[in-house]
Amino acid sequence: MAVFVQTKQKTPRGIWALRGVTVAITLILLVVVGTVAYSAYEDYSAVRAELAGGSQQAVGAAVLRGSTETVSINITVPNKGLYPLNVTLACNYPTSNVVCQRASVNVPPGEEGVLRFRMTVSDVSQFESSDNRVVNGTVSISMSPFVGLTVGTDFGGFIKSGGG
Amino acid sequence: MYGRTITTRKRITSAVWALVVNAIFWIVIPYYLGVFLSGRVPDSALTVPTFVYEFGILFIILEVGAAFFQGKAIAVPMISAVALLTVVYIWYATNGGILGVETSGITIALSFRLLLYVLVLPSIWAAIRAPLAYMVWRHAISSGASSSSPAP
Repeated sequence: MAVFVQTKQKTPRGIWALRGVTVAITLILLVVVGTVAYSAYEDYSAVRAELAGGSQQAVGAAVLRGSTETVSINITVPNKGLYPLNVTLACNYPTSNVVCQRASVNVPPGEEGVLRFRMTVSDVSQFESSDNRVVNGTVSISMSPFVGLTVGTDFGGFIKSGGG
Repeated sequence: MYGRTITTRKRITSAVWALVVNAIFWIVIPYYLGVFLSGRVPDSALTVPTFVYEFGILFIILEVGAAFFQGKAIAVPMISAVALLTVVYIWYATNGGILGVETSGITIALSFRLLLYVLVLPSIWAAIRAPLAYMVWRHAISSGASSSSPAP
């Protein structure tokens, strides 16, 4: 294996070009990771404050008409990050007497959007008396185009006996 | 880089240094992290997976080899292999950018495939850059042969 002995060898231009590409890629990585982390933190803080701060926009109401109960949830979704924020609420497997209206809102950076979610229980007394009161639902939050978070949980807790 | 002589002593020093640093990073820290996690949360599945050690051994071998053979052609595939192994490791550790957890009836899935592509980009570039840099240096040294001569 030849080892080249060199004195005062100047760094070739090609090496400088390769270093330039390395610096550019590193900068891209730092910018993307930094902005995603910043946006995630800002969006999380804003949504948390919206839900915990008692905003008039983040309200839920259950209205009982006859045996049909309609649960309405309106949530204001602020986007204080740098990427568009998409929030979707949906039921995975609606039971026979529970129908969910899929709600989705796409919020551009610096703006607010309102998510209006509706669940209708056709026979609330039957639902209340049944053993399986689980309504599988998903909350999807995506920070386009980089990160998406999906939380699957039970929406049955939104349905309260007698409305209200 | 490739345009200078490197003594055997310096090679051994670099290799030992690479061995120590990588052993601490890939073996010692994960081991004590596992001990810490199992002590703090005994009933949880929070343990350091075995693949971390397996990848760690490969990283140590390649890093030590690259440090020992620095400046020689044989170091180039080792440097590229470390970079490609980093890509595989990141991809494997993050399950291809889709992580999920299920607890108390709640499932949480985090998807960040595009972000993962950006995260592995420097490693992919490092794998490509190593042979390119070698070729550039070799060409530069060969073209400037009047002021240089191969060592015996």
